Amino acid sequence: MNARTKNLGGRAVLLVAVLVCALGGWSYAQARGDDTLAYAKSRDAALADGTRHLARLNTLDGTSARSVESGLTAWLDASTGPLRDRLEGTRAKDTAALTESGATARGKVTDAALTALDDRAGTAALIATVDVEVTPRTGQAGTERKRFEASLARTGDGWKITALDALPVGSGA
Amino acid sequence: MKRTAGTTVTDTSPDPETEEVPKTEESRESKESRKSKEPRKPSESEESKESEESEEPGGHEEPHGDGENAGNGQPEEAAGTTGASPRRTPWLRVLAGVLTVALLATGATLFVKGQRLRDTPATSNHALTDTEATDRVTGEVGSALSKVFSYGPRSTAATKETAKRVLAGKALQQYAALYGQVEKQAADQKLTLTTQVVHAGVTRLGTGSAHLLVFLDQVYEREGKAATTAAAQLSVTAELRGGRWVVVEITSR
Repeated sequence: MNARTKNLGGRAVLLVAVLVCALGGWSYAQARGDDTLAYAKSRDAALADGTRHLARLNTLDGTSARSVESGLTAWLDASTGPLRDRLEGTRAKDTAALTESGATARGKVTDAALTALDDRAGTAALIATVDVEVTPRTGQAGTERKRFEASLARTGDGWKITALDALPVGSGA
Repeated sequence: MKRTAGTTVTDTSPDPETEEVPKTEESRESKESRKSKEPRKPSESEESKESEESEEPGGHEEPHGDGENAGNGQPEEAAGTTGASPRRTPWLRVLAGVLTVALLATGATLFVKGQRLRDTPATSNHALTDTEATDRVTGEVGSALSKVFSYGPRSTAATKETAKRVLAGKALQQYAALYGQVEKQAADQKLTLTTQVVHAGVTRLGTGSAHLLVFLDQVYEREGKAATTAAAQLSVTAELRGGRWVVVEITSR
């Protein structure tokens, strides 16, 4: 092997390395710039966050004033926008009423689905069925089945609920 | 330009031009060196031309030093091979090696990162990302449910036929088990049930199967009595069969 072929071989290896790097970069850029992928990830994040927050909004430990306080703080943490404003506005009243009633509610989302998602605006609509197990201070515990429609908005801290409607029977279009 | 470094004159083929121009010191020397050597292969003279050119801008990129050496009357071959190499090659080689490794590593890392971005459950679920398919499955499943849960005292047979088309598997079995009772009730009490889809959302949409959550409003009407409305929430699994979405499983929520 003379210098000429050695040199050629070296250049070929370097060229291959450059190509590998370029291909890797291209592949990565494709994945990063994939709108569908980004949209799908937003969808999954919105559904997961929305489900979690909806369960929290249906949960409250009414055994003591302190647990009611922390429950209401969790409600605020799960919400944003109009719903948060409303919850903040009625907080004092809610605390008093819930502490007095002393009932404990535990919400479990049995199924949830997104019905709309605007990734650019950062808004989504979610429907969900929730089983709420209510334990009054005295008496038998019972389970309520509820269906909800919620509006979500993207915040710096994930997706949060901006509006929540328990859909009554006959509310349909 | 061809003759400046005294390289072209080493061409094997006699160049008529070479004879005509006045001989310089360099070219004479080169000629001598050529005489003392075997006739070169064309490829070698090619190489020296190339290295002569690339020597000009940077001056240090090439490990060869043909031009200088030829000017000194050195045999050209010595310059082309190992003669001048030890001075500049080692760190250049190291640099090229490091660069190669760095490029390969970067490329591989980026590729793996890209794959990791792509390879999530999110990509295989087409719910909402494929708007057309999402609308289609929502529409077909919604229509199937509202049809099978709507009947009148005189239309139970028609509903049963529809159910056989739009339901399958476990859903059809469950439905068939209940429907005997429904038929009797509808006839006896002159009961009419009308079901409407209020909301429907797709949780998972694959190529051949889908999972949906459907909110229904159901209106019961008995002849001579006020209508009552009930709510139903169903988790539905549907499969694409023969180009149509067929409900295979229903869970009441």
